[in-house]
Amino acid sequence: MDNSEDLKGYRGTARNLLIAHKARVWGDVVVQTTQGEFTGIILPRSETADDQHVVLKLPNGYNIGLRVDTIHKIEEVGYKKAHYKIPEKTFPTNPLKANVTLLGTGGTIASRLDYRTGAVIPAFSPGELYGAVPELVDICNLNTIKLYGEFSENIGPTHWMGIAKAVAEHIEAGADGIVIGHGTDTMHHTAAALTFMIQDPPVPVVMVGSQRSSDRPSSDAALNLINACRTAGYSDIAEVLVCMFGPTSDQYDLLHRGTRVRKMHSSYRSTFRTIGERPMARVSPSEIVYIREDYHKRRRDDRSVKLFPYFDERVGIVYYYPNMKPNVIESMIDNGYKGIIIAGTGLGHVNKPLYPALKRACESGIHVYMTVQTLWGYVQMFVYDTGRDIMDLGVIPTDNMLPEVAYVKLGWVLGQTHDREEVKKLMLTPVSDEITEREPIDGYLVMQGGLPEMDYYFKSYKR
Amino acid sequence: MEANFDPTAYKMKSGLEVHHQIYTKKKLFCRCPAGLYSTHHDAEVLRHMRPTLSELGEYDGTALMEFKTKKNVIYLLDRQSVCTYEMDDTPPFPINQEAIDIAIEIALLLNCKIVGEVHIARKQYLDGSIPTGFQRTTIIGWDGWIPYKDRKVGIIQLALEEDACREVSDIQHTITYRTDRLSMPLIEVVTAPDMKTPQEVAEVGRVIGDLLRCTGKVRRGIGSVRQDVNVSIEGGCRVEIKGVPRIPLFPTLVYHEAFRQHQLLHIRDFLIGKLTSREHFKGDIFSLADQQDRFHHPLIKEAIHDRGAVLKGIALRGVKGLLNATTQPGLTFAHEISERIRVIACLDHLPNLIHTEDHSGLGLDLEDMKLVTNSMRLKPDDCGVLVWGSIEDTQTAAQEIIARVEEAFDGVPHETRQARRDGLTDFERILPGPDRMYPDTDSPPTALTVERIEIIREKLPPQPWVMQEQFVQEGISPHVAHELSTSPNRLLALKLMEDKGVSPKLIAWALTELQKSLKRKQVPIAQLNDQHWSKINDLVKNKRIYREGLPNLIAYLAHHPFDDPEDFLTAQNLLPLPPTVLAQTVAKISEQNVQVKLYKEENRPKVLMGLVMHELRGRASGEQIWLCVQKQSQKR
Repeated sequence: MDNSEDLKGYRGTARNLLIAHKARVWGDVVVQTTQGEFTGIILPRSETADDQHVVLKLPNGYNIGLRVDTIHKIEEVGYKKAHYKIPEKTFPTNPLKANVTLLGTGGTIASRLDYRTGAVIPAFSPGELYGAVPELVDICNLNTIKLYGEFSENIGPTHWMGIAKAVAEHIEAGADGIVIGHGTDTMHHTAAALTFMIQDPPVPVVMVGSQRSSDRPSSDAALNLINACRTAGYSDIAEVLVCMFGPTSDQYDLLHRGTRVRKMHSSYRSTFRTIGERPMARVSPSEIVYIREDYHKRRRDDRSVKLFPYFDERVGIVYYYPNMKPNVIESMIDNGYKGIIIAGTGLGHVNKPLYPALKRACESGIHVYMTVQTLWGYVQMFVYDTGRDIMDLGVIPTDNMLPEVAYVKLGWVLGQTHDREEVKKLMLTPVSDEITEREPIDGYLVMQGGLPEMDYYFKSYKR
Repeated sequence: MEANFDPTAYKMKSGLEVHHQIYTKKKLFCRCPAGLYSTHHDAEVLRHMRPTLSELGEYDGTALMEFKTKKNVIYLLDRQSVCTYEMDDTPPFPINQEAIDIAIEIALLLNCKIVGEVHIARKQYLDGSIPTGFQRTTIIGWDGWIPYKDRKVGIIQLALEEDACREVSDIQHTITYRTDRLSMPLIEVVTAPDMKTPQEVAEVGRVIGDLLRCTGKVRRGIGSVRQDVNVSIEGGCRVEIKGVPRIPLFPTLVYHEAFRQHQLLHIRDFLIGKLTSREHFKGDIFSLADQQDRFHHPLIKEAIHDRGAVLKGIALRGVKGLLNATTQPGLTFAHEISERIRVIACLDHLPNLIHTEDHSGLGLDLEDMKLVTNSMRLKPDDCGVLVWGSIEDTQTAAQEIIARVEEAFDGVPHETRQARRDGLTDFERILPGPDRMYPDTDSPPTALTVERIEIIREKLPPQPWVMQEQFVQEGISPHVAHELSTSPNRLLALKLMEDKGVSPKLIAWALTELQKSLKRKQVPIAQLNDQHWSKINDLVKNKRIYREGLPNLIAYLAHHPFDDPEDFLTAQNLLPLPPTVLAQTVAKISEQNVQVKLYKEENRPKVLMGLVMHELRGRASGEQIWLCVQKQSQKR
């Protein structure tokens, strides 16, 4: 009886009670308590919850927790285990439509919620996706490959390299575009990594996710997926792109270049923003409108991809704060780090007490690069003496490369060479706009509520 | 037929769901101020609602219907009253604990049992009334009761949930909502279907309303209370009449819904009699676009010429007589169809259909009828419907019409209906099932400790029905006892009565009748607090003032709440008269009026009594005066 599946999530007192009454999770039960009688289904319990309650799903759909010390009898009268199945419909193919390959890494771009547990069941096969987002059929022929089943925070260099190889493989196999379903938290890290690892692709590589999971009626998942498939199949931009909501309203998605995009809000739909540049295009179910023209164009005559699946994991980001102690840097030296990205204040500064440690780092062969924690703007270390002093230590400024992008790039570079000059050359030569020569006049637009022009904007455009 | 209809003969059952906003400082799942309403907005967002798959991999009926309507949902956002939570751009904050305490209090008053652990659920609504697409709701108590007549009416559950948006407009494919009310905490009281007559539904509604108000923790005013009335008759099914604002509307609505179900069961029998089962029914859809210019009917002409509509015909085979069958007083089955396509196909320019069985004189003329009959190949036993609008909407409408006729073979569809002013109802949406409930993965469960519940239980105010009984025992008439037990003065009355210095009847009178009459005279009674009333109570107890003097004193105190009542009584010469002075006054007034002739001389003491009372303005009790007057009369 002491089967972990049958007592899923229950521990301590509650677990003992269930065992004593021969009751189990998914059991359709009648519970006698000091408060009266209940019928319902025993649900699994969250492992972080206490051991004093048993969760019951009532016939009207509500869940309640019953206090263990009020229960004196549980009688199982049936058993209704949830079945994790999403309806499959055969995804029709049409030779006139683009062939899109969807690589899954674990984001729940299409899913449904299990009503009994609240667990999110991902929909992934073409047939399942068709069941969930029937509009896809009108856009493309869909092929799906499940690469990983990871939450975005658990995605790292191994996955980046694995995804890059899979992308190259499927492009060479003839896909007209690649869509990558990914959790949103680290989507911009992966986007940067793929930009460096897959160069000169003939077709678009589009990353997509959702900020409201697709088990919610107000989800952005379906629209994102529709727009990503359209972009992959038909857009002219053969680059690694992130395709996510432009405004918070259900209107259109923006296509962001993989090296300039960043998640900027913990929960907004319109969380992804191109930093220090304009996005590439906007895409809606009816059209793709190009914003920039200087993009890498789609090629139809070849299928070759330049693949660089390299990464040295001995790299870290140091986010500078006032009064930072040198031992933060020293511990990285002592732990064998080969590269350090500093997110410095203002134009790229740290305090004086850090200097000896940075000097030691550079002298011991660690590659140290400076970025700005302001995110917008360039590192400029000539303006103040501080900056010059830091450069003298061997710290190299990276212009307007975003800290996360610099981290990914340094790891990628160090995966290929440790030669100081070679590393510097690769770091400072942009692959795709991770450093830009100029910041356009509308590259920095952080709206500020309360300004008269913003009030005017809201009143006129409403969203 | 309606006049003779007796719902009890068809085993009518009815239950109530009472939604009442509660008084909290902040909203339920965010820190926005509660109860701040305005018609101003600073920004808008646009959203769409998609149905999510049910557990069985199917779409919930309501969900599918609402997706069919393909609505653009616009939310109006006012900076003061909403944050990014209401916009569904921020996950919920921990649930408002003040709201949970109030819900526990109300659950205990309803004799409910309290859950050990609160689990928040999502209840899906795809009409856009909540930007997330679901309402966060949780059960706090269950299995309670309230007394009614000589029995108990069951309370199935008490839930705590967030309120929805206010609808501003719903025109074709765009529905607009104001978000200020969104996420306001409210409680939902669900009764068992224990009411057997339309009248009982209203009476039970009053008992619940009285109880909720007596806590002082529910909001008052327009929009703070909404009631859903569930009705079924034997052979019918549960139909929910949604959002009824006022209890007096209940009986008519319940009566008419019972009647509608009775009629739909008749219609079912009629259809089965004609075609034996829904499988034998057939509906055909015809595009009449190429013939639409030949129609004379002004509605069709106007739609085609002014609004660019296309015409579609639906032939309903073998069911002649169906469209003309009565469903509600003055309404026919055609109305059921018209309502469905108004909501589902967004054909909201009414009237939105014409049919071949409209004999009101507003239907098709002979030539149009011929055109319809020929183009849709109508046989003598068929009937036909014409609809107009965009190609997509008319297609949705045509399919929906056929679906509604098919449902008629089963009798009464599960529906949510909206109340009309005339006591009839219109279709609102398909009634959702338990499949639309699922756990809120954003919120952790909250344990309700025994200590927390006991602290609330100890401070519980007495229920109005318990109090009423107590007042009746004190000798107060049941009518006044009921009024007092549900008034804001209920606890004050109890406290004053415990003092035992003043007769309970007098206290009840002062706190009900007298207060009302002073309010009518614009006296600011609300200025008086419990201390004022205690003081007044002491004055009466110590015979410093009599009942007759109270109106003056209370009015004065209400206007001058910081004055000492004793000073007022002294200054105004209102303190009780010594008995000798009273006798002298009576004698004086009697003398002054001795010449006055009366129609009936035996009434003289009564007339004298009135004059003296007027003169003394409460400086002696009526009883004392009457004794004096009688003595005076005997002297004469």
